Amino acid sequence: MKNFMKVSPLRLLDMSAEKELGHGNLGVLISRAGVGKTACLVHIAFDRIFSGEALVHVSVEETPDKVASYYNVIFFDLIKALELDREDELRLMIERNRMILSYMKGSFSVDRLRQSLVNLKQNLSFVPQTLIIDGLDFEGAPRQLFEQLKELSAEFGTETWLSALSHRHKTEVNDRGIPYPCHQIDDLFDVIVHLAPSTDGIYLRLLKDRDHPISAGAQVRLDPNTFLVMAE
Amino acid sequence: MKEDIEKLRNIGISAHIDSGKTTLTERILYYTKRIGVIHEVKGKDGVGAKMDSMELEKERGITISSAATHCLWKGHRINIIDTPGHVDFTIEVERALRVLDGAILILCAVGGVQSQSITVDRQMRRYGVPRIAFINKCDRFGANPYRVLNQLRERLGMDPVLLQLPIGLEGDFRGVVDLVKMKALYFQGPHGEDIREEEIPDEMLEEASAYREQLLDAATMYSDELAEAVLEGQETEEMIHRALRMGTLARTLTPVLIGSAYKNVGVQPVLDAVNHYLPSPTEIENTALDLDKDEAEVVLKADPGLPVVALAFKLEVTPYGQLTYMRIYQGSIGKGDELVITRNRKKIRVGRIVRMHADEMEDITRGYAGDIVALFGVECNTGDTFTDGSVNYSMSSMHVPEPVISLTVKAKDNKSQENLAKALGRFSREDPTFRTYVDQETGETIISGMGELHLDVYVERMKREYRADVEIGIPQVSYREAITQRAEFNYTHKKQTGGAGQYGRVAGYMEPAKEGAYEFVDSIKGGVIPTEFIPAVDKGFQSCLVKGPLLGYPVLGIRIVINDGQHHPVDSSELAFRQAAIGAFKQAYMKAKPIVLEPIMRVSVECPSEFQGNVMGSINQRRGIILSSAEDGTFTTIEAEVPLAEMFGYATVLRSLTQGKAEFTMEFAKYSKAPESVVEELKKAKSKSQEGRK
Repeated sequence: MKNFMKVSPLRLLDMSAEKELGHGNLGVLISRAGVGKTACLVHIAFDRIFSGEALVHVSVEETPDKVASYYNVIFFDLIKALELDREDELRLMIERNRMILSYMKGSFSVDRLRQSLVNLKQNLSFVPQTLIIDGLDFEGAPRQLFEQLKELSAEFGTETWLSALSHRHKTEVNDRGIPYPCHQIDDLFDVIVHLAPSTDGIYLRLLKDRDHPISAGAQVRLDPNTFLVMAE
Repeated sequence: MKEDIEKLRNIGISAHIDSGKTTLTERILYYTKRIGVIHEVKGKDGVGAKMDSMELEKERGITISSAATHCLWKGHRINIIDTPGHVDFTIEVERALRVLDGAILILCAVGGVQSQSITVDRQMRRYGVPRIAFINKCDRFGANPYRVLNQLRERLGMDPVLLQLPIGLEGDFRGVVDLVKMKALYFQGPHGEDIREEEIPDEMLEEASAYREQLLDAATMYSDELAEAVLEGQETEEMIHRALRMGTLARTLTPVLIGSAYKNVGVQPVLDAVNHYLPSPTEIENTALDLDKDEAEVVLKADPGLPVVALAFKLEVTPYGQLTYMRIYQGSIGKGDELVITRNRKKIRVGRIVRMHADEMEDITRGYAGDIVALFGVECNTGDTFTDGSVNYSMSSMHVPEPVISLTVKAKDNKSQENLAKALGRFSREDPTFRTYVDQETGETIISGMGELHLDVYVERMKREYRADVEIGIPQVSYREAITQRAEFNYTHKKQTGGAGQYGRVAGYMEPAKEGAYEFVDSIKGGVIPTEFIPAVDKGFQSCLVKGPLLGYPVLGIRIVINDGQHHPVDSSELAFRQAAIGAFKQAYMKAKPIVLEPIMRVSVECPSEFQGNVMGSINQRRGIILSSAEDGTFTTIEAEVPLAEMFGYATVLRSLTQGKAEFTMEFAKYSKAPESVVEELKKAKSKSQEGRK
């Protein structure tokens, strides 16, 4: 899987001070609708799964079938793009190391998620090192929810990635350069990245790296079809 | 006949178990005056619902066989197939969907979209069946049709459109607001037969207007005429019905009705919706394969004047002989006509032709394209295509799942042995997922099917209907074998024992096949094996697949390539090459590292969320892999893949783990490599049974 690791979107973190999000920490991916937040999160998931880590994918609006089909489609594209020949073995790795938890129509709460993680640990000995949370409504969620998520990450020692939806018409940016909808809660996130389309690809840019300064070129260009890092 | 066909509806009623399918059907038959009295499924009167005609069904309160019936409603003739809800009987559901043009999907207003509803919906999509939904049991405690509407959107990916609003809910459920007519409907009289139409209650007017707007928004997508009329405030009921019909037929919109069949509320509007929105046979494209033209696909037309094409979709034994349920796709079938069974080109003469009404029947002289009829005394199998002989068409084959469970049956005396043989012959012709064979080594009769309940029902039928006193063994999992790597063979079969000898050499290789099926590739060059002997080689290899050399289980997923060989001008024969292939198979098989495969079931457990941990634990203990967990309100659905061998008795375990509040369904997912511990156990069991026979 070395080929994939070399071109995974997470290569962006090679440009960060600690080269990773780190366990117990929160990271967020901001982008407008339709740019590819879920696809990018699934690539992050593949990066962790293929490194042998267990992962829980939490979806706040999609059914497990739909989430699984995202993984299938992206995996299929990955196999084609990288001409991987261990398809069955990798598929098995995904099946064994990934758990999908869906919370439909307002069912999501940190307490419920905590209970599910406890159930997974106690009953299946499934202890995730990474948590992906997709579809959380940043606009409607109170600050307290993100504080609870930070506590949860620390409690379970997970590297937690979230996705946040921004809007073209909402242009607020705080003085640290963090845009809406994370501009008032950026202190709770250790790493913030921004996904934005451009004429020559999709750019994944580092906006926050804990308290470390960010260099101007801290970004990777992704192929809009595969979401893999393109050669410069 | 054209007008008649357009006013014909062939519909199925499908849903999760215990959603009220049979109760709804019973009301439909009552309101259409097919029956004079309503009997409940588990009613105190002991009569049982009309559609549950088999004794066993009446006793258990579930519908096992799909019984066909027909009725008349406002000038339309509706053929109804009542289908079973338990997943073990989904072949019945699939068969019904294969021959039907539309369906009513029943959902429970309390339980919502449950796992079986998802399975049934998947089947409906497979056969492209347009449907309307009926949210039943609105009188029950906890009923919430709006939640079910959301689930239809989220879980089934439908575009549901509410046609009615409930007036009151749970114990206070009194009637419905019809959003097309914008009237309140109340169902009165002893059985709700009198519909009182009134103005919408004041307190519901605002809500009704909002939902009507949503309805019109959805409907205008399908009709410019309606869109324009809505802009001018001139829309009519007819325009709305036409637009909704177009969306339903395109399968992009699902009209949703609500009610309580048990309380006789909202059933007649379901019948109206069947007439309004579900298709006539002329609006559905059905195809057949032309066997004279290399199986080219031909579109059938529901035209009585064209050559006959009909499909036998269900067989039933009755006191008067075999009854064959048939859908006529093209042409017409009358008493005295000669028909040809495509499978064996056998000619039959139509004796008695009837229209079925559950377990009663009505003689007719002729059935026409689009109709569902039943024929008496026709010897055929389920899935057989019938023509008038002028065409050689076969309807595309139905999707038939592989059986996953088997058990031994043994007659206790000679009379029972005779009856058992009759029963087995009948069941395997009625139901393609029920199979039976005699194990050559043990001499035991084995039956196999889709689950414990499936086989249980057949064993009960052997006893009740055929008076066969039988003993049954412990249910056994249907294991399979498969090779994992390529292996070469080069085998010569040579025999010289006086007279004509036998000679044949076969060389090539075997390797795992990707699609799981058997594949035979002839790469012989220069005629080293003459063409006339190639089929014998193929047959020789195929004969080895029935019992794999590893542990005696059928072999799956193997590709055999022959690329060399030798023949003798005098001693080579079909028999010699068949034997050479058998020898070649045995030579290479163990070198190809065979493994044992076990059936893995897709298990879906629905439980109150507080039991999520218990359910996960129970699946984990059964070597299951949990794929996901979805919370929706207070309920959680856990999806997992679990080896079938570990699922025996799970219902009891689940009941005690969840205070009886959880339910599960399972269906076959795939065959997977069995772990070493399981293979060791199977080896031990095999050697023990061999020793026992010595």
